[in-house]
Amino acid sequence: MGTISQFCHEQGRSFLEAQRLTKTYQVGGSTVYALRDVDFTAAQGDFVVINGPSGSGKTTFLNLISAIDRPTEGEVVVEGVSTNTLNEKQLAQLRKEKIGLIFQTFNLIPVLSAAENAEYPLLLQKLSKSERAKRVDAILGEVGLRDLARRRPNELSGGQRQRIAIARALITQPKLVLADEPTANLDSETGAQVMNLMRTLNEEHCVVFIVVTHDPAVTQYARRQIRIHDGCLQEGGAHDVVDTASQPAA
Amino acid sequence: MQVKSALRNVFRNRRRTAFSLAVIVIGFLVLVSVLGFVQEALQSTKESLASESGAVQVASEGLFENTSSDYDYLISPETLDRVILEASTLDGVIGVSWQLNFAGLVGNEEGSTLIIGQGVVPCSDVQDYECIVIAGDPLEEMSDRQVVLGSALARKLGVVPGDRINIATGTVSGNFNAATVDVSGEMTYAFEDLESQLGLFPISFVQRLLKTDGVERILIGLEDLDDSDAFAAALQARLDAAGIPLVTRTWEELNASYESIRSFYAAFSGLAMIGIAVLVFFSVLEVLTISFLERSREIGTLRAFGTQRGRIFRSFLLEGAFLGVIGAVLGAILSAILLLSFNAIGFTWTPPGAAIPQAIQLRLGTQVILMPIVTVLVSTLLSSTFPSWRNSRIQIVDALRSI
Repeated sequence: MGTISQFCHEQGRSFLEAQRLTKTYQVGGSTVYALRDVDFTAAQGDFVVINGPSGSGKTTFLNLISAIDRPTEGEVVVEGVSTNTLNEKQLAQLRKEKIGLIFQTFNLIPVLSAAENAEYPLLLQKLSKSERAKRVDAILGEVGLRDLARRRPNELSGGQRQRIAIARALITQPKLVLADEPTANLDSETGAQVMNLMRTLNEEHCVVFIVVTHDPAVTQYARRQIRIHDGCLQEGGAHDVVDTASQPAA
Repeated sequence: MQVKSALRNVFRNRRRTAFSLAVIVIGFLVLVSVLGFVQEALQSTKESLASESGAVQVASEGLFENTSSDYDYLISPETLDRVILEASTLDGVIGVSWQLNFAGLVGNEEGSTLIIGQGVVPCSDVQDYECIVIAGDPLEEMSDRQVVLGSALARKLGVVPGDRINIATGTVSGNFNAATVDVSGEMTYAFEDLESQLGLFPISFVQRLLKTDGVERILIGLEDLDDSDAFAAALQARLDAAGIPLVTRTWEELNASYESIRSFYAAFSGLAMIGIAVLVFFSVLEVLTISFLERSREIGTLRAFGTQRGRIFRSFLLEGAFLGVIGAVLGAILSAILLLSFNAIGFTWTPPGAAIPQAIQLRLGTQVILMPIVTVLVSTLLSSTFPSWRNSRIQIVDALRSI
């Protein structure tokens, strides 16, 4: 990546807005609210941690703002464009260009090597082979896995897999990275390493990070903390934990 | 990477892939065996028919159309020489022979019966009767008063090689003529009815018996039977140009039964192909459906990163195509080994009504290998189309939720 030490000039500018976001499901003839009238705004450089108990609507919220699901009511606006106005193809384009995703179970493609997994999103952007190779090398260097580039996911530890997943999410230089329980399958030490890495990348790349978790240890990395309960969002206030060096050792 | 990834996915679950490949390869082997047998049977039939009729015949149109009266179709020795000269200037000729046939009576002290006499040139390159002689000897090159009788006719007359029989028939001018000949051998024939009536004589003897120096038809042997149509057309043009009032007919035109035999074998091969295609289709469909469903989360992940449905569809289809290609290559190699081994062992069988065992051979040719390749590729591609399409349509959220 060519912007490793880039200063975040646009910090504070609104990037994503969710307005009266509602998602319901029909269960046995009755309507169940997974998310109810949620308003949310994320600005450039934000590092938001959303926590809440299981079934509170965290993942549903993440699915809606990442444009992989559509709201029942309300809208998600990304850089001034409502996702409700976009068709399937345009939504795919939006995800491809502006959003990076990190999953709880890493979701790496087992038949691809670490480098190929990281490279995959670039294939969708029709970049030249040399440009792809350059970016893969840079991002693997950033997540500290350059030496393991040729390994398949099953030859990597949980922490290493999540680092590859982070590399994959960041390789297209997205403006928004959404992470769903990124530390859930990691031990506490590895989880801390991964969170430190995310914070570092947040600062260096000025990327909005929205992390959904029920792990209390993750909240200490947040600039903003939001609690979600029964489908409703409660702003938990801003944290001042920008100095990643003070976090648990990586 | 799409190609690399598809290829790796094919071998991801080796047991499942092995099962799919086994079905494809077994289907391939069965189909190659059927087609190899059919091709060999058709080729044998062609060669057998052409060994009696020649690749191309030349005669008067009246003879071919059965509209001649008496012996007005006979070809004079001068015309025979001119036709031989014209034929010999064309490529691919391996020999020329001629025939004069008659119907008459054959008998001895025990009794008499009808005979269809064929006057042939002994030891001809065009008509090879030697292989169907099952007792005694074939006609000798310089023979005169000899006959090779159909085995059933010899039994009916109670004669064996070395005995003598009497032949009686009408001459070309309508008079009666008779002669005594030696039975030199007995022959078997595919059709038992004909075997009980047929006798082969040296043509010089038949010409003396019928009191003529003419022949009724000229038989031309070719290096490649498949050239018969082109050769017949070329020779016809030469005959017309030379003012010779004769026409050409190919072995296929002279043996109308060949077309029905070929149609039967074509239907047989077609049914086998459909059967194998259905077997491969459903076996591979089941395996790919399970295999693709297990990867729903991967599909969800790829879609979440912005992969379009078309790309997902193509990558799964590519896996099906790879499976088909690998199966076809394995099938082609194994079936070549199987066919060559089978032919090397040299199995034989005796067809109904025949006395001499025949070798069962499976023909290995381009068509025999190509048709199964097309069959397995098409059926594998078709069977992967539906699961590929269904997987590409899956909702991202549902796909990510699957285990």
